[in-house]
Amino acid sequence: MKKLQGNIIAKVCVWIVLLAAAFGAGVFGVRAVLSFQSVVYDSWQYSGRFYSALEDRRRELADGIYLSQRLEWLEKKVEDGTANAVILADIEALRESRTSIEKRFSRDSTWFRFCLTETGTGELMGTNLAEGESMLRTVKNINRTILELTEESWADYGYYVDDYDYAPNDLPGAEGGDAEVQPVKLVLEYGVPEKIASVEIQDEFYQIWQTYENDRVFFDQYLTGFLNLGALALLALICLLWTAGHRAGEEGVVATWQEKIWFDLYAAAVITAIVALAACTIWATERLYWGQSYAVRGEDFDTFFNLGLMGAAALFTAGVGCGALLLRTLAVRLKAGCLAKTTLLCRVVTWMVRTIHDFIRFLPFTWRLVVGFGAYVIFSFWLIAVGRYDGAFMLMYFCLQLALLLFLSWWAYGYHRLRKGTKTIAGGDLEHQIDTRRMPYDLRLQAEDLNNISVGLSTAVDEKMKSERFKAELITNVSHDLKTPLTSIINYVNLLKSTEQTDPKAAEYIEVLDRKSQRLKKLTEDLVEASKASTGVLSVTREKIGMSQLIDQASAEWEEKLNDRKLTLVTTLPEGETWVYADGRHLWRVIDNLLSNCAKYAMEGTRVYLDLERGKGQVALSVKNISRDPLNVPAERLMERFVRGEEPRSTEGSGLGLSIARSLTELQGGSFDLAVDGDLFKAIVTLPQAN
Amino acid sequence: MYTILICDDDRDIVSALDIYLTSEGYQTLKAYNGKEAVRAAETHEIHLILMDIMMPELDGIRATAKLREGSNVPIILLTAKSEDTDKILGLNIGADDYITKPFNPLEVIARVKSQLRRYTALGGAEKGPGLITAGPIAMDDGAKVVTVDGEPINLTPIEYNILKLLLSHPGQVFSSAQIYEQVWNDPAYGSENTVAVHIRHLREKIEINPAEPRYLKVVWGLGYKIEKGT
Repeated sequence: MKKLQGNIIAKVCVWIVLLAAAFGAGVFGVRAVLSFQSVVYDSWQYSGRFYSALEDRRRELADGIYLSQRLEWLEKKVEDGTANAVILADIEALRESRTSIEKRFSRDSTWFRFCLTETGTGELMGTNLAEGESMLRTVKNINRTILELTEESWADYGYYVDDYDYAPNDLPGAEGGDAEVQPVKLVLEYGVPEKIASVEIQDEFYQIWQTYENDRVFFDQYLTGFLNLGALALLALICLLWTAGHRAGEEGVVATWQEKIWFDLYAAAVITAIVALAACTIWATERLYWGQSYAVRGEDFDTFFNLGLMGAAALFTAGVGCGALLLRTLAVRLKAGCLAKTTLLCRVVTWMVRTIHDFIRFLPFTWRLVVGFGAYVIFSFWLIAVGRYDGAFMLMYFCLQLALLLFLSWWAYGYHRLRKGTKTIAGGDLEHQIDTRRMPYDLRLQAEDLNNISVGLSTAVDEKMKSERFKAELITNVSHDLKTPLTSIINYVNLLKSTEQTDPKAAEYIEVLDRKSQRLKKLTEDLVEASKASTGVLSVTREKIGMSQLIDQASAEWEEKLNDRKLTLVTTLPEGETWVYADGRHLWRVIDNLLSNCAKYAMEGTRVYLDLERGKGQVALSVKNISRDPLNVPAERLMERFVRGEEPRSTEGSGLGLSIARSLTELQGGSFDLAVDGDLFKAIVTLPQAN
Repeated sequence: MYTILICDDDRDIVSALDIYLTSEGYQTLKAYNGKEAVRAAETHEIHLILMDIMMPELDGIRATAKLREGSNVPIILLTAKSEDTDKILGLNIGADDYITKPFNPLEVIARVKSQLRRYTALGGAEKGPGLITAGPIAMDDGAKVVTVDGEPINLTPIEYNILKLLLSHPGQVFSSAQIYEQVWNDPAYGSENTVAVHIRHLREKIEINPAEPRYLKVVWGLGYKIEKGT
């Protein structure tokens, strides 16, 4: 099928079949048209062709009558003896003419029958009817006409008057007639017998009658031929349209040079050609129609008729071919989907629309609003100004308002969708994409931007989550890898301790190992915790907890240890419970670290103050102590990792306590501050108060 | 003579634990990954398992789950992971206790003993009237005796009353003020501090490692509770 579609030979064949069929259809069509009248009319004498021939005969006869009147007048002049040589020559010529006319109108040479009587006297002036033959019986459709004969009228011209032509006094020959002559009125009755019995007399009426008879016999064949060939041509046309645009060895639709011409120009040219060809065809057919009645049948006529028929059919074929060309290019364009693109009008309209569209888009939103509203107002005013306040006006006004309502609803619905989408995204569903289909332009821009933001955000969040997970895994693994050997060290040091050592120094060394391994354990634990706290890997479960209760619990944990170091814990709590939103375990670790710091670094015999204050929606917990060693580092530095107040790193701290405390406080949404005033060390944990 | 299965991919830790447990008079079996542990549990009669979590082949959590399919032998998880989620996962899957690395050998032995006592004494302790229990803690209100894993402990009257209050409402959190009002029968006016101290003492008596309590828990900022269902 595909192969056939692109086959060039098949295409040529289809074209040939199309044109041949069109030609045949043209021949039959023209013949059918020519014979159509004959089929429609019940009598052959109704045809225009017949009337025309009859009229010609009448004119000829009238001319003959005038001619014989003139001849009589001239002959009278001869009898009077006033004739000159010119008149004699005229007489000679007129006689010849009269003889030929008499011959033409003789009963034996024509089917035309006439009867000429004078109106006044009823005297029979002339006829070609046989003796005893009546006009009424011979000719069914009798035509009548009145001829007026004046002396002047036949003197120079052969004027006649009938019921519709010139009025008698308009005759140019009637000027200045001092001898007023009463005109002779003649009645001419004429016609052609309905039935033409014999073939002996072959005049134009015989031809018309014969054509009529033939037409009636052959019309069906002509019509059948036309329809069959027309169907074949149509089939070929369909084939042609099917194969159009395909070419052997090439995929898809191939455009030819014809498709490069603007479609509307092409169509205009082709349609003009078709119209011209159709006019020519009609003209040729008309020629043939009349030709059929005039010419005397013979070989010459047949040649003329056949040639004329061929010509008309050829014109018809050319028209069909043009039509096929137009349809073909239309088919190719439709197949290639470039009809709109290759139509000049369409392109122009598209360009205009786009330009206006772009211009409107280019306008800032506010201006567009103003322009739109202005247009609406002007249109409403115009409506009101020209309105006749009838039904049509009301309908138009209603339509305008309805259109406005629909437009506003469309906007409102778009806004609603945008709002809903934004809410979803804001609610944390970053994957959410707002559906921008059928949204007003401005809202769509907004929605698309939001979609882009949400895509960007969700990518960022994904990456953040990935890195968080990576960090968490890293910390867990490092923690495991550090703790496993440490476990062995601690355990074997422990085992060593339980063995008997002969060398007293060995026990001392083991003691060092034990101490350092314990410190290492503490360091490792703190390090892991510090990493967790500062990277935010820790999960935070915030709930309403009582600060007084917590401080109470904390001081219970630490009081004894502090007392052991000769430190006194002084707690100041406000009246009643103070509630905060925090993670109890993390907050405990903060206080634990702070009190642990006190235990490690506070000067012996001093007091440690633990104060709780609330106000302005904030709860502040402060821990104050006097440092044993001078604090030679600024407060900020103390919160950094591995920084401790005293230089020699001999004490048990890891230097991570404050750092962990700060991270944990911040994780819970609080703030952690340090203040150093001389030897006074002060840490303040501020948390938002809960109601 | 109890047999204890020690399972850790670090051979040094296994042998150190082996030394401690053997010196305590237990028989030991060694396994270096989860699969070996499961196989050993199938072929030997084992009374307790010490199991590491991070192990090749089959990790401790999965091995525990597998062992729990056909046995209720006590399992103590040894974990370097200090993540709470790991502990909770381990306990939910069927482990009875956990010890975080680096551990103190004494704590290990204490927990082993505790678990063994509970495992072997299971069903022995009858539930008479006035006997309140939570995990290893049993309080005979009639005789005013409190035992942990069957071992009697000495409590002051106040500690006893506090423990009684918490034990009779397992899982419920009591603030210091509530405990004070209930135990001292006095309205609390800032004198709750003593409650915290008493509870710390109580915790030291009950818990193996008071810093990581298993039964009498501190709910920081809210109060105290006895863990439900253990």
